[in-house]
Amino acid sequence: MAQCAQSVQEFIQDSFVPMVSVLCSEDAERVTRKNNLSFPELLRPFCRLTSEGHLRDPNNQVVVVKGLRISVTGVNTRSPNSGEVRKLLSQAVSGCQPPEGLPANVITAGDYDLNISDRSVKASVPWYSDWKEMLTQLSSSKYYTATTPWFEAYRENFLQSMPASDHEFLNHYLACMLVVSSREAVPTEQFLKLSQEQHRIQHSGEYTYPKWFIPNTLKYYVLLHDISDGDEQRADSVYEDMKQRYGTQGCYLLKINSRTGAAGPDEQMPDPWSQYLQKTNIHSPYEEGVLNNVENNISSEVDGLDLSDVVSEIHPLKLEQSADPGFPGNPSKAVNSADTARTQKQGSVTPGAAPTAHGACLTLNDHDRIRQFIQEFTFRGLLPHIEKNIRQLNDQLVSRKGLSRSLFSATKKWFGGGKVPEKSIAELKNTAGLLYPPEAPELQIRKMADLCFLVQHYELAYSCYHTAKKDFLSDQAMLYAAGSLEMAAVSAFLQSGAPRPYPAHYMETAIQTYRDVCKNMVLAERCALLSAEVLKSQAKYSDAATLLIKMTSEDSDLRSALLLEQAAHCFINMRSPMVRKFAFHMILSGHRYSKAGQKRHALRCYCQAMQVYKGKGWTLAEDHINFTIGRQSFTLRQPENAVAAFRHILINDSKQTATQQSAFLREYLYVYKSLSQPSNEGSLPQLPLPCVHSAQTRVFFGHEPRLAEGEKQAATHVWLDQEFDQEQAQLWAELEEQVVAVANRGSVHISFQPTQYCLSSHTENLRYPFAVVEEPMFVEVVFRNPLKVPLVLSDLSLLWKFTTKDFSKPQGGTTGETITNEKEAAAGKATALNDIISTEVIPEFTVGLEETKVARLKLLPHKTGELHVLGIVYNLGTREEDNSASEASQLMFVRGRQDLEIQGPRLNVTKEEKTSVRHGPDRRLDPIITPPMPLLEVFFINFPTGLLCGEIRKAWVEFVNVSAVPLAGLRVASTHPEFFTFGSATADLTPVTPTAAEHCSAYKTMVTPPSDAAVTLVSPAAFGITGDNRPTVVEIPLTGGVLGPGEALQIPLWLRGPDREGVHEISFLFYYEGLEKNAKLGHRVLRHKAVICASRSLSVRATACRSNTLPGRGKRDEREEERSGSMLVFVDVENINTSEAGVREFHIVQVSSSSRQWRLHKCINPAGDKDSKLASRERGKLCFRATRCRTQEATSDALEKYTFADLNLGNEQIVSSTTPCADFFFRRGPPSEPRKGGVITVGGLLRRQSLTPANSTDDSMTSIVRKCSEVELDIIVLWKAYVVEDNKQLILEGQLHVALQTIGKEACSLSQKEEAQEMVLLKFKPDLPPPASRPSLEQLSHLIKTCLHYPESYDHPFPQKSLCMVPVTLTLSNCSLAQVDVIIDLRHKTTSPESLEVHGSFTWLGQTQYKLQLRPQEVHGLSLKACFFQAGVYNLGTPRVFAKLAQSGTMCETSQQSAMPALIIINSV
Amino acid sequence: MEICKVFFHLSVSVILSPLQNYPLYIRSVPSQSELKFHYTVHTSLDVVEEKISTAGKAMAEQRELYLGLLYPTEDYKVYGYVTNSKVKFVIVVDSSNTSLRDNEIRSMFRKLHNSFTDVMCNPFYNPGDPIQSRAMFTMVSGLKSDKCGWLV
Repeated sequence: MAQCAQSVQEFIQDSFVPMVSVLCSEDAERVTRKNNLSFPELLRPFCRLTSEGHLRDPNNQVVVVKGLRISVTGVNTRSPNSGEVRKLLSQAVSGCQPPEGLPANVITAGDYDLNISDRSVKASVPWYSDWKEMLTQLSSSKYYTATTPWFEAYRENFLQSMPASDHEFLNHYLACMLVVSSREAVPTEQFLKLSQEQHRIQHSGEYTYPKWFIPNTLKYYVLLHDISDGDEQRADSVYEDMKQRYGTQGCYLLKINSRTGAAGPDEQMPDPWSQYLQKTNIHSPYEEGVLNNVENNISSEVDGLDLSDVVSEIHPLKLEQSADPGFPGNPSKAVNSADTARTQKQGSVTPGAAPTAHGACLTLNDHDRIRQFIQEFTFRGLLPHIEKNIRQLNDQLVSRKGLSRSLFSATKKWFGGGKVPEKSIAELKNTAGLLYPPEAPELQIRKMADLCFLVQHYELAYSCYHTAKKDFLSDQAMLYAAGSLEMAAVSAFLQSGAPRPYPAHYMETAIQTYRDVCKNMVLAERCALLSAEVLKSQAKYSDAATLLIKMTSEDSDLRSALLLEQAAHCFINMRSPMVRKFAFHMILSGHRYSKAGQKRHALRCYCQAMQVYKGKGWTLAEDHINFTIGRQSFTLRQPENAVAAFRHILINDSKQTATQQSAFLREYLYVYKSLSQPSNEGSLPQLPLPCVHSAQTRVFFGHEPRLAEGEKQAATHVWLDQEFDQEQAQLWAELEEQVVAVANRGSVHISFQPTQYCLSSHTENLRYPFAVVEEPMFVEVVFRNPLKVPLVLSDLSLLWKFTTKDFSKPQGGTTGETITNEKEAAAGKATALNDIISTEVIPEFTVGLEETKVARLKLLPHKTGELHVLGIVYNLGTREEDNSASEASQLMFVRGRQDLEIQGPRLNVTKEEKTSVRHGPDRRLDPIITPPMPLLEVFFINFPTGLLCGEIRKAWVEFVNVSAVPLAGLRVASTHPEFFTFGSATADLTPVTPTAAEHCSAYKTMVTPPSDAAVTLVSPAAFGITGDNRPTVVEIPLTGGVLGPGEALQIPLWLRGPDREGVHEISFLFYYEGLEKNAKLGHRVLRHKAVICASRSLSVRATACRSNTLPGRGKRDEREEERSGSMLVFVDVENINTSEAGVREFHIVQVSSSSRQWRLHKCINPAGDKDSKLASRERGKLCFRATRCRTQEATSDALEKYTFADLNLGNEQIVSSTTPCADFFFRRGPPSEPRKGGVITVGGLLRRQSLTPANSTDDSMTSIVRKCSEVELDIIVLWKAYVVEDNKQLILEGQLHVALQTIGKEACSLSQKEEAQEMVLLKFKPDLPPPASRPSLEQLSHLIKTCLHYPESYDHPFPQKSLCMVPVTLTLSNCSLAQVDVIIDLRHKTTSPESLEVHGSFTWLGQTQYKLQLRPQEVHGLSLKACFFQAGVYNLGTPRVFAKLAQSGTMCETSQQSAMPALIIINSV
Repeated sequence: MEICKVFFHLSVSVILSPLQNYPLYIRSVPSQSELKFHYTVHTSLDVVEEKISTAGKAMAEQRELYLGLLYPTEDYKVYGYVTNSKVKFVIVVDSSNTSLRDNEIRSMFRKLHNSFTDVMCNPFYNPGDPIQSRAMFTMVSGLKSDKCGWLV
């Protein structure tokens, strides 16, 4: 708030004071010069009178003059020209800066807490933290509570520098002091000379300046006596003489310099001059030059004033030569141009150090004497003189007008009666109005008014001004009128007692007139300053603001700036503070300040406005302010603040255009560059750009994956390119757990943690990760560029801190010292510490506009210990549009850092954690570097990407130990163990080069013509199968169990296409460990994910049914087999391959069986169909006979062994009992659930039994019944496919498995896709208990196999014999292992009348019902006789067979299948 | 919640700002002097506040929403409008444009108010966020074309 130290009244009074000139003799000057002061300067501190003075007005009223100040100046003191004034004022303003260190002045306005002194800002804005530094630099002169001292300084200087003008007399000289030293030979002569001189100056007309108030100026004779030097008595006598001559009231003896010699340094003397002279001294060009050199250099172009110009312009010597001829210079140059002479002296000796000792020869008594002198002069000399003149003028006026004696009553009559004054130059009328001659009566009134005003008789002054105003107005003398209006308003305001309301409109008219009519901005400005001050004192802030804003103009930036600032203060002082207007005008003011070269003030204004704008969403304005603050701070050599401000612009999401942003960025870089250049040593500052998403940082431990080398395809392992997938991670963790369990013989340590190679925000980062020495680690940093300008980061590298530790020693190892690469990185030598940790440097990294991009930074530790990645260090730059300015673009890089601080996940376990926000640690950037570990690399050779379902392919896999440490315990786990095999232990593992085996079959073959099945017996243990589980973990045999450093092992790998078509992801997890146990890292894993695209090949369906052939026809051994049971196996093969172009045809090469009980015996296909070729969509059927294995009961061991029977259809037999065929058989997929079918079923039944314990007999019975229909036979169909690929014919081979489990039930090679479950109705009632289990009819029907033996056709001479009897044998064989009761019923049971008709009728002869008991597996023949009556075709299949288990009750009796029709032809012969 | 809107001659700029008087929506068609308009509108909030505080006490209920001309600057006229929920709308027009009368300004404000109400009714709009409504955009554009007179 712009409040003055003085009250308004004081201020106005001080603005208009009686002027007294001084003429000094040379000797007198010399006397005062001892004190480093001229005579006017000597008096200056004592010019304010402390006591009251009195005088009488024309009406004999006593007027009290309080606190009068007079102004004493040398007679030739000239008011500076406009350029000088301007310079002077700007110095005054820049020399006056806001104070610091005093309590901040907070103004609460609405929602805003504004802090008008600048310190405040730092409290609210974090980036202003180093504001204080700036403030300490600001010089502080004087502190007024919430003031604008620079404004007051400006105002004071402005008013003092007002040139004397013709239209008013206020600053005309009223009196003249003639000063002569007592040492003069003849002082009275000297006085006379001076008096003449004064007269010459005033009346000769040679000089237009100075102006004199009244023709007969008061002359006051002062004899100056130097006590230390002169003869006191002589002085006294001279003074007596003077009193005689000039009267006691017209002369004075002033004794000074009572101190002899120089003042002791210990003596403390008050120095009242410093306050005044300091200010004037600032004006001296030298000092100011020193003070403001910095600013001027920077802003010379803004100032428009070169320093040298300034010096030459104001230089005192030059001044004399080019002096205005209007000034009285030459005659008394040496004496009376004291001010300038002194500065000259000072300037030549020691600039700036001079103004130390003022009044060195003066004691306090001398001070009192001077004070006494001034008082004497004023009260005895000046005031009576004024009084006399007022009276004179009054009389003159009254008499001249010849009207009433009373001025007051006469005023009205003068109105309109003004005569037209003589015009000296007629042309002037339009502009400055008229020029009155000095004796014009209108001017006399004005003169009188001014006199009254000076002696504080405001009432009279007002009425005189008022009168004069009317006169001038009627004369159209606008300049004079405006002056009178102005003064009338001021004196109206100053009237004490019951004042009339302040006539603001007078002022407005005055300002307008000055400005528009007279084009005199200086006067208008004075007027505005006065008026604004008055208005403010009356709390008319908005009027004051309007007035001030109106006064801003283009011609003076400094004035505009000051006035706008004052207006802004007015806004905030209003009853409801207008904060935003304040801010806006502060910005305008700041702008003008900066144009005027007042950088500090500009900065201050912007900072104050910032308080209003910041954080309110007015981004454009905020950016603008920040930008300006940045610039100004920079030019004021406060780069830290500049950087902070620019940083602020860049950090926020800017709405600026791209060009604007790039300008901001360039500016920032430039400022930053200049800031960081000197301090290369210190720690690097944080850069604001680009934004780093710390939380998204990922860390990867291990080598970068190699690309495939030709046929060699490296294991995919883990790499940063892979997205994190929760399911995958889970899957790998499970696999790892499995393999660890196997490696540790079934147990997993409690603290088992899956190995993590890639740490991201998705992984759990509570533990310190492990990295292995001499293995790289990558840190992936996510950068985002918020700007529309591309950013270029160069020399990008990581910052780290490292503590060496030797883990090989017991108990944690020894801790070494901590090393960091911060300094080296700051100096740009990021590779300096490469013997400890190699740091990769990315030479250039571009982030496009508004782009998010990742950078991968590599570290390679060479020692064990604890590593902490601290952040990144880089050069920030921007892409220059033109490449021509390469040097310039080089400059536009700055080096800085950004820290990577990752906050862990929020904790939410304990209550405390739940109620507060706490975050756990995140250690992903703090790895522990462990001693060396083996490192495995796996390569796949000839690894296919696409396979037919069931296709067998041989590939090679290579294991390489790339570390310097031996590797052991290599294992692999997979999600799809049926997909691959390394071959059985029995298989020949001698590595054959992959090329040699390229075109050979994957199978082991023998040349044999198709014949009966070749049989082999194989134990599953030989294929690594133990128990019933498929092995998920396979141990890979290493020679000697160890893979030495650098060694490689290549082994074959067979693959079988998945049974189901589609894309399959197959995960391999290779597990390995070091020879010696590492405490930190037990094992390591390597991941591989293969993607196989399986396409359809063949679909195989198989059914088994009981053969109905009777034993006895074939050979004996066959019969033997028959006895033990035989089956027919039908195999339907369909080519379901869809790619007709690729696969030409399939050949079924061989069908093998594998079972513990059954084997394929013989192919009973119709002859001639030997090569079963299947073109696209073709279907073929094969039929086989299967028999029970003979060796079944031979040894108990054999039960566990599988019999492989091969039936080749071509000339080559594939030995299915060896690798890889058998491997894949044993590893075949999921449909193997009832491997030990019966047992499992029984188990299931037993469980059911517990639910329904009613009929235990049923269950045992069921099992028996079941078993007899059970078959456990796996068919392996081996095929070859002829494929054309790239005009080359390839032969692919493969195998498909079908598991036959039940007689009569079809099994398929393709596991049926489970149909998506239809929506199931919700059941609210519990299910009914399952019905008592009993063998189903179907199952029972398999108990007994029946077969009718009869001649197909029978000739019978019916004419001869009407009855034809045919013998028929009914063979019954018991399939079960239990005794079965059988009832055969031959009676016709005609179910329908049609059947009678069709079949005709025949009868069974003899016994119509038989009851038999069959022992297990017994075959029983029953001879029957059928009797026919006529020729025809008959169906003999009418006997109904009922079977039941012997032990069980009759209830389960059921009819056996009535089989197929058994037709007999009876011919009549 | 307080909202301001600003319109300019040729160019329409709309600001809406809630309680803290931050802008919700600004639109000005000659975008080159956008910074200046920011300052102008921001400053005009002082006057809006003043008008509300003086008029508000007397008749809070039947207060006229339209505040009228806030103040004329050299180049622009600034009009204000405050809803009952203290949402402020500000329109700035070129002062050289004489074809715009008080009634037209008033109807423009009413349209703006309606449009703003629509935006507020949008369940996906989070109150206090800057408005990015296409409907609002077209409406404001439409305001210009309605008044071909002052468009040119």
